[in-house]
Amino acid sequence: MAKDPRVTRIEELPGPKSKGEMEEFKMPYEEYCKKLFDVGNEHTKPTALKGIKWLSCTMYIFTPHAVANLAELGAEVIKIEMPRMGDAMRHTSPFNECYLYPLHDTRPMTGTGLGFTNANVNKYFITMDYHVPEMVDVFYGLVKKYDGLTELYRPGTFDKWKMSYRYLSEINPRFIYVWGGGFGYGPKIFGGSYDILGQAHAGLASITGMHEFMGGHCTKQTNWVIDWQSGNLITASVMAAIHHRRKTGLGTMIEFSQVQVPTRMSGYSFPLYGKFGVVRQRWGNWDTQLAAHGIILCGKSDFPDAENPQDKFCARYAMVSAFQDADFKELCAITGMKTLYEKYKAHNQRAEGEAQVEIYGALEKWAADKSRSEVCKILNDAGLLAEPVRNDREAYESPHYRERGTIRWLDDPLFGDMVLHAGYSSGLLEKTPRRINWHWRPVGADNKKVYRDMLGVPLTKIKEWYDKAYI
Amino acid sequence: MPEKKEIVINSRADTIGLMDMDVRPYPVTPPPTYEEVKPVYERRKALEFCDWAEKNLRFNYRYQKDESLAGLRVLDIGLWRLGHKFCASLYGEAGAEVVTVEPPAGDPLRKVTPFGREEYLLQNQESGEKCGIEFVLETVNTHCVTLDVETADGQEVFKKMASNVDVLIDGMPPGFMDGLGIGYRQLKQANPKMVYVWIGMLGQWGPWKDKQSKFGQWMLEPFASCANSWVHNTGLAQDLLPRGRGGDPTRSGVWLADYVAGAQSFINSLAALYWRDELGGTGQMIEVTGAEALMDILDFDITWYGFNASIKARSGGWDPNLNQYAWNPCKDGYMMIGGQTDKLWYNIGFCLEREFTQFGRLIHEDPFLKEMGARNALHALIKTYTLTTRWLRDVNRVEAETKLLQYQLAAGPVLFIDEVAEFPHFKYRPWVYVHETDYGPLLIPSSPASYQVRAPFRCKWMGRDIGYDNYEIYMKWTGMTQTEVSAFKQKGVM
Repeated sequence: MAKDPRVTRIEELPGPKSKGEMEEFKMPYEEYCKKLFDVGNEHTKPTALKGIKWLSCTMYIFTPHAVANLAELGAEVIKIEMPRMGDAMRHTSPFNECYLYPLHDTRPMTGTGLGFTNANVNKYFITMDYHVPEMVDVFYGLVKKYDGLTELYRPGTFDKWKMSYRYLSEINPRFIYVWGGGFGYGPKIFGGSYDILGQAHAGLASITGMHEFMGGHCTKQTNWVIDWQSGNLITASVMAAIHHRRKTGLGTMIEFSQVQVPTRMSGYSFPLYGKFGVVRQRWGNWDTQLAAHGIILCGKSDFPDAENPQDKFCARYAMVSAFQDADFKELCAITGMKTLYEKYKAHNQRAEGEAQVEIYGALEKWAADKSRSEVCKILNDAGLLAEPVRNDREAYESPHYRERGTIRWLDDPLFGDMVLHAGYSSGLLEKTPRRINWHWRPVGADNKKVYRDMLGVPLTKIKEWYDKAYI
Repeated sequence: MPEKKEIVINSRADTIGLMDMDVRPYPVTPPPTYEEVKPVYERRKALEFCDWAEKNLRFNYRYQKDESLAGLRVLDIGLWRLGHKFCASLYGEAGAEVVTVEPPAGDPLRKVTPFGREEYLLQNQESGEKCGIEFVLETVNTHCVTLDVETADGQEVFKKMASNVDVLIDGMPPGFMDGLGIGYRQLKQANPKMVYVWIGMLGQWGPWKDKQSKFGQWMLEPFASCANSWVHNTGLAQDLLPRGRGGDPTRSGVWLADYVAGAQSFINSLAALYWRDELGGTGQMIEVTGAEALMDILDFDITWYGFNASIKARSGGWDPNLNQYAWNPCKDGYMMIGGQTDKLWYNIGFCLEREFTQFGRLIHEDPFLKEMGARNALHALIKTYTLTTRWLRDVNRVEAETKLLQYQLAAGPVLFIDEVAEFPHFKYRPWVYVHETDYGPLLIPSSPASYQVRAPFRCKWMGRDIGYDNYEIYMKWTGMTQTEVSAFKQKGVM
């Protein structure tokens, strides 16, 4: 029917269509975002990966985290551990200090170590000894029902047990198979790998830490960053493979080497070496490309009377950033470095090494009689960017993360209260938020659920397997 | 073989060009051949499987294979940071059609160069335009267009483009796009199936949200890693080195939080696309910040504070959770040794004992060190690493590695960038290789996701001149004619 030009239909006009929408449009942006993400009500919304099912034949941090990302997004994940032993990470705790109870048959003395945190959320935990041919048949039963698996054994191990992609893709052509490890095909294929080896081998360590002239050594990134970030990139590859499978109906195998990941994340290092022969070195707390943009040591601690030495002695560092001309000019004006401004008016002058030594030296001299928060306040009040280097207590107490729900408590029915700083923090999603249902469960906690409820194995059989240490 | 020539070096400037890839061939030593690697496979009786892996996973076959995200349209807008660029690059590597929008003057990151040295900018061999290495490296397979979204015309064009995309990556300051009327709440009207990802440092809302200086300077890394305790926890402790002389909290050498946020943005947005296509039918808004994405992978550090009010301290090259698992100084650098389980722990000892007999007596026979968990106590770490370093100080990295690898240990030296580039395994895969770009041959890292049976990630091109794809993309995405694009160009909108 031809449109009547005399009639104005509200749907055709630009702008809000209803009162609710009108209010949404008038809302200040921050408030709108807050309403959109609706922190605290994640579990009332759907999950993004509903229906995806994954097997996690993993240990340590790297590969478990790769699967935990899927589990946080709503995939159903079974983690398979060796009977009686469990993931080696369960035995790991900082300075052997923190273990979470309860005790159970595989951890009769101490409970589960805090090192196990964050890499295995939302998974179901079963046990299975792949060395037993009878169990490999059970494993095939799972493969038929599942979308993919992630494993970390030395190359050829799963192949020897007839559990590699070559075999599984015949059972289930849609199966997505991930091997995550250190090196992959090539001369070092059987080399073992850890996070720290990745940091050391791939160049990241050589460009992190204080330079020799600053008195320092290369330093480890505090977390197992290569394990975790490689895990993220595996999940990224898996998500792409799932999309590919939606179009083609075909699974795939992904061979993912963590030792390479820091190389990919090393910025300009390799092209600079290739083209100009310059070997990038570590440059401490300053930036190799921007100045002033670095962390300075202030004279006084913010908490001189605190009991914890980290508060008492280390609350002295501030991140200061004024690399654009106007910002640098203002910084120099506030800190009495007028001569430095005259000397280094252009950014490429002040980014030079010698200039940086002089600038940060002068800044630290200026800050020598001030505390970290005084330094930040002076600079912030002048409209410049500065921020204290915060510790774990300050992150925990931060109103920012609390309001955004990225640090919160979880009341776990088995292990009690735990602070979460993962999962929710990996990104806010409006309609299908990531979530943590539980942090971890004891070794083999879901054997009955999986073997009987999912695969129909009778309880007597499960008991028999348990007694023989097959599960 | 390049010809020999006489050179005179009076200053650093004279060295430019002497090391270029077409002058100085890379690699210096050739990569291992298959014939050299085959015995490695045979020794473990895994030749058949390894051959299968080489045949199906090899990097060299990547271009013949499918692209997993072909057909997806991604629009990326942002400046300065690597977070949104890394995310866009991942989409590009996986085959999506990615367009990066810059203001007509270009992203200031194009001018950023190590130590401000313009001689280290890359030069486009066709046009002569110069660009910073980091910008080139983080715009993989993306089309570069220019658009001034602060003008009404620009906003109109941007809206048209956004009405047809699957993913929009927003790397601008909080509320910037919304203020211009081209943010999520406006664009979702025209394109309800769009997944909108905002990537920043601390957040677009909340008490510590991203700020700008009064002159408009942005927060860049390491602001994010300073805000979540990562920097506080990294570095050598002041009882290992004096404060101010190396014993300080330390930032990462790279813009770490950006890379983590970029990866998580890619994961979250792909999951949202999966949900859109399979289940929900609509797009959504996603927010990823560097501070929080890095906090997501901060081990257990803040959980530990909740457990017993411990505030994690720095421990340099040592890991507080495992023993041995650290690097320590040796004769010519640093040597990493790892091995926590009893088997590996004693293997380390057996190796060191051969030359340093006291090690066995002091470590293996210490009853305290016999239990695996107990070894992680601080005093146990100090004892173990003191004695290990006593052995290391007399050996260099190659010797130490050779000796330790005989005992099936994960051990390796801290390698410098040039050593990484010449590391045999890195060259064999290859993990660094020479790619022919518009800026001449560049030594670049390959994507870790390029080793797949069916649809590996790959780099086709990297970096583009400012506005290189204006005509093609505006014609294709918005239906504008050449004349219209040229008119916008003259008005300064593009």
